Amino acid sequence: MVIFILRRLLHTIPVLFGVTIVVFLSLQLIPGDVAQTLLGFSATAERVAALRRDLGLDKPIYVQYATWLWKLVQGDLGRSIAMRVPVASVLGIKFINSLILSGASLLIVIVGSFFLGTISAANFRKAFDRFTVFFTLFIAALPVFWLGIVLLYVFGVKIRVFPLSGMYNMANPGGFPDLLHHVLLPSFTIAASSVAIVTRVTRSGLIDILTQPYILAAHSRGLTSERVTYIHGVRNVLPTFANMCGLQVGYLFGCVVFAEIIFTWPGVGLQLYDSILLRDAPMVQGCVLVVAAVFVLGNLAADVIVYALDPTRH
Amino acid sequence: MPSIRRAIKIARLFIMEESNKSGNAVKRLKGGSPDEKRRSTLYFVWVGILSDRYALAGAIIIFVFVLCAILAPWIVPYPANEANPMLRLRPMGTEGHLLGLDMQGRDILSRLIYGSRFSLFTGIMPVIISAFISIPLGMLAAYYRRLGHIIMRLMDVFFAFPMVLLAILLAAFMGPGIPNVILALVIVLIPYNTRVVYIEAVTQRSQGYVEAARASATSDSSILFTEMLPNVVSPSVVYSTTIVGSNVITAAGLSFLGLGVQPPTAEWGIMMSEGRSVLAIAPHIATLPGIAMIFLVVGFNLVGDSLRDALDPRTRLRRIKSSFRKLSEEREATDAPSPSV
Repeated sequence: MVIFILRRLLHTIPVLFGVTIVVFLSLQLIPGDVAQTLLGFSATAERVAALRRDLGLDKPIYVQYATWLWKLVQGDLGRSIAMRVPVASVLGIKFINSLILSGASLLIVIVGSFFLGTISAANFRKAFDRFTVFFTLFIAALPVFWLGIVLLYVFGVKIRVFPLSGMYNMANPGGFPDLLHHVLLPSFTIAASSVAIVTRVTRSGLIDILTQPYILAAHSRGLTSERVTYIHGVRNVLPTFANMCGLQVGYLFGCVVFAEIIFTWPGVGLQLYDSILLRDAPMVQGCVLVVAAVFVLGNLAADVIVYALDPTRH
Repeated sequence: MPSIRRAIKIARLFIMEESNKSGNAVKRLKGGSPDEKRRSTLYFVWVGILSDRYALAGAIIIFVFVLCAILAPWIVPYPANEANPMLRLRPMGTEGHLLGLDMQGRDILSRLIYGSRFSLFTGIMPVIISAFISIPLGMLAAYYRRLGHIIMRLMDVFFAFPMVLLAILLAAFMGPGIPNVILALVIVLIPYNTRVVYIEAVTQRSQGYVEAARASATSDSSILFTEMLPNVVSPSVVYSTTIVGSNVITAAGLSFLGLGVQPPTAEWGIMMSEGRSVLAIAPHIATLPGIAMIFLVVGFNLVGDSLRDALDPRTRLRRIKSSFRKLSEEREATDAPSPSV
């Protein structure tokens, strides 16, 4: 176990290094003169020259990268062009906000798909199962931005049960219950299609397992069918389930961007969107870098959990 | 005349599948044409689609959208950008405008029909292009180990980004426009497709026929592209089909964020993004394009899932069904209290 974790950690380091290279080089994709494009054509020559010096664009590219990486290691993500403050100082709180939203979504995915998947597998080909299979087909195809708009309209505009935007009630912030009230709609938006996908995989995995001889043996020993299905069967679908949830994390992070924009959730995704509109390249890079780093660590955690759950891999 | 020939071939395959079901007629057809002796993987894929009514439904949905996209200029009731300000924001069912009008008074049905062009194009094109890059890349990586190590480590870096986020980053810096969107999506898709090809090619490389080809001094390029290629292509094709659906959503998402196709183009993502500002008074503007998109994505997913099942050598689904039947029969025979499996 320890060796496995160490090996995965060792594997993560070059990947993180590669991530910084990709994020750094993405700036080169900007067509034309970078500094001029970022500031717009009305900018004065002095401003452009200052930004070029600030971004280090006047130096050779490997020197640029080395300086950029050295600052990055020290926690300096550069200065925002639009807000004129260090990127790191802005992203700190937004990062926590996004983490809350993604955490809530992941929780919905894990709990929702586990129960839906196992229950529909246990009721294979019965009404509940057919219902789940049919609806997950459509839910898996829902574009997150569409679902967000529809939920916003139904629960925010028509039946006013959930707030339209934000994290807390502006006039009267109310701690955890208030947060829960605000987080429910966006996190459900993010989670929906992942729940559908994981449910389908869990269901077919468990159905597969329930046809195996050891299940028949458990039945013949006289165990109750509930015990056989939910204890003996479910135990072996757990690695598949955990693996699938891990794979969905990346998808969730992508959806978080859209949900934050639609529900005006003050997180990294909304900041990314605003910064793109403002052509604030250092901020965009910072946002992507933060999400990618969390994603890499999340994958690492998921791998370790799958490893721990899967007895065949020890 | 290749299309007619293909149609005849398809019809013949269909007849064969039907006669396979009835059992007796197979012998009569056998030897009739040279096709059936060399059944390729694609044959099983095709049969899989035809025998699966879900996949057939998916194929029909896609066909309808393709028809709409091709015939758009002739079937739309109004030009996509023709505005009628008098009828702004009118709901569905307005006379002459079945699906209502948007905030500039443009007919939504017409815009939806035109939008299917962009969704199909930006959904399918990147997948095809990335497959053309991934197949050789994955095969080279599998065949030359040291090079493969470098390529796959490079791919690992791209796997470290959530897919949508990388597309957003690339599209944001490259600037808007269809070519840039397609390029961004191609870059995002390559690692996933390459991994699929790589895994398949690694198993193929250790097969006897590759060994035999090498023993008879066949050149590397010949082994790769005449011996291994046909066996590697089908998993990649199947994988590509399964991701078209999600790719349609990603492409529309980029337009929704203002990074893809630009207004006033009739594109579903843009229509939703524009409709968002008048959501409270005219919800149909933002929601209708999404519904069209859901149908298209469901169509692609149905076909993709069915292709995957058809190519699965274990034909898992059938095995499960038969073993369940056996299980319940056994239970009935022994008259035991049947557990709810």
